[in-house]
Amino acid sequence: MVEVTEKLWPVEVPPRVKYLRTIWAEMSRTHSHLLWLGLLADAFGFESMFLQFWRIRERVLDLLEMTTGQRVIQSVNIIGGVRRDISPEQKKICIDTLNTVRKESESLIKVLTNDYTVKSRTIGKGVLTKEQALQLGCAGPTLRGSGVREDARLTKYDAYGELNYEPVVEEAGDSYARALVRAKETLQAIDLQLEALAKLPDGEIAVRVRGNPPANEAVMRTEAPRGELFYYAKGNGTRNLERLKVRTPTFANLPSLLVMLPGCELADVPVIVLSIDPCISCTER
Amino acid sequence: MPWMLPTILKNFFGGPATRLYPVEVREPFEHARGQVSFNEDKCTLCGTCVRRCPAEAISMDKEKNELTFYPARCIVCEVCVDICPRKAIDLIYKWRSPFYAKPVEVYKPRGKASNKAEKEVAATHEPALNN
Repeated sequence: MVEVTEKLWPVEVPPRVKYLRTIWAEMSRTHSHLLWLGLLADAFGFESMFLQFWRIRERVLDLLEMTTGQRVIQSVNIIGGVRRDISPEQKKICIDTLNTVRKESESLIKVLTNDYTVKSRTIGKGVLTKEQALQLGCAGPTLRGSGVREDARLTKYDAYGELNYEPVVEEAGDSYARALVRAKETLQAIDLQLEALAKLPDGEIAVRVRGNPPANEAVMRTEAPRGELFYYAKGNGTRNLERLKVRTPTFANLPSLLVMLPGCELADVPVIVLSIDPCISCTER
Repeated sequence: MPWMLPTILKNFFGGPATRLYPVEVREPFEHARGQVSFNEDKCTLCGTCVRRCPAEAISMDKEKNELTFYPARCIVCEVCVDICPRKAIDLIYKWRSPFYAKPVEVYKPRGKASNKAEKEVAATHEPALNN
């Protein structure tokens, strides 16, 4: 939302802001994927793993609270910059915690990817082929789990152009493949945060933006944890925007259930529905 | 199972991951956005926070000289704290305790009266200063 509004002027934000936004975006992705991995374990009845994932997630939420002030709805971006900065002490704590989180997640993800029970509940369940995924307009891990190399981060917004980033793609298209994509992305997100923290440039954290949004229109694509998040904004020179359109990834991913659900066993429905990581409250925009 | 074994052993001998909340409360982070509070002495009921609050958590009645705050709606986005021209809204790092009934806080701002009084005092002193 902030970036699409910045595009109306357009406003060029300082490099430190780009890196900070990337770090917080990836931190959100880490906690969102850890939440999802826990929910997946819960969906097929692996309760202990569910709580283990959520325990790790709590550390990431603590980092978010320490750096932005809030756990989930960070409200840290403002037009022209960010509200908070990461101090050198916080940076050190972040690096130490992220290394621990990576180590702990890695050992749990190893269980998830190798366990016989997990495999028997997810492999071959809710298969979505590459053609079907493209035809139904899926986004994010649902699309990448079906073998399509598509990610809004490839547009190199924020600091992604300067980081070593390559999307995670799995070919199988079943619930297991989507779980693998998210599991690998969790570790990748931690690596991206560590890389961005190491490269974090000095400088200002906000530039002053004067006046109302000009009469102009802009679109912005960002990669949210669930997939591509699309924003369209149209200004008319007044304080309020004339139009703002949001398309959330769940809206794009929901039609895929029409292909995945028919013919499946009733006990597999929770796993398949969860495999697109639905956020129904986000859908109606 | 063998991959889960280290985690299981760690859980057996490690301490609990949770706290006995609300008996044991973690210290808030230094800049955590816990809650907002209004300073009745500074607020002049200008209405900027009411217009800008994205959660519609603040309302005011100028005739009754009342500012009503609904903490259960507040998302602690800090917008009101940033834009208040009189700096009458403070951010408190400590989280609000859980509640059974949704609280409603009513403030009786005195900022306008004190502002007026300040101006009157300044006006009475002005001729003296000029002399």
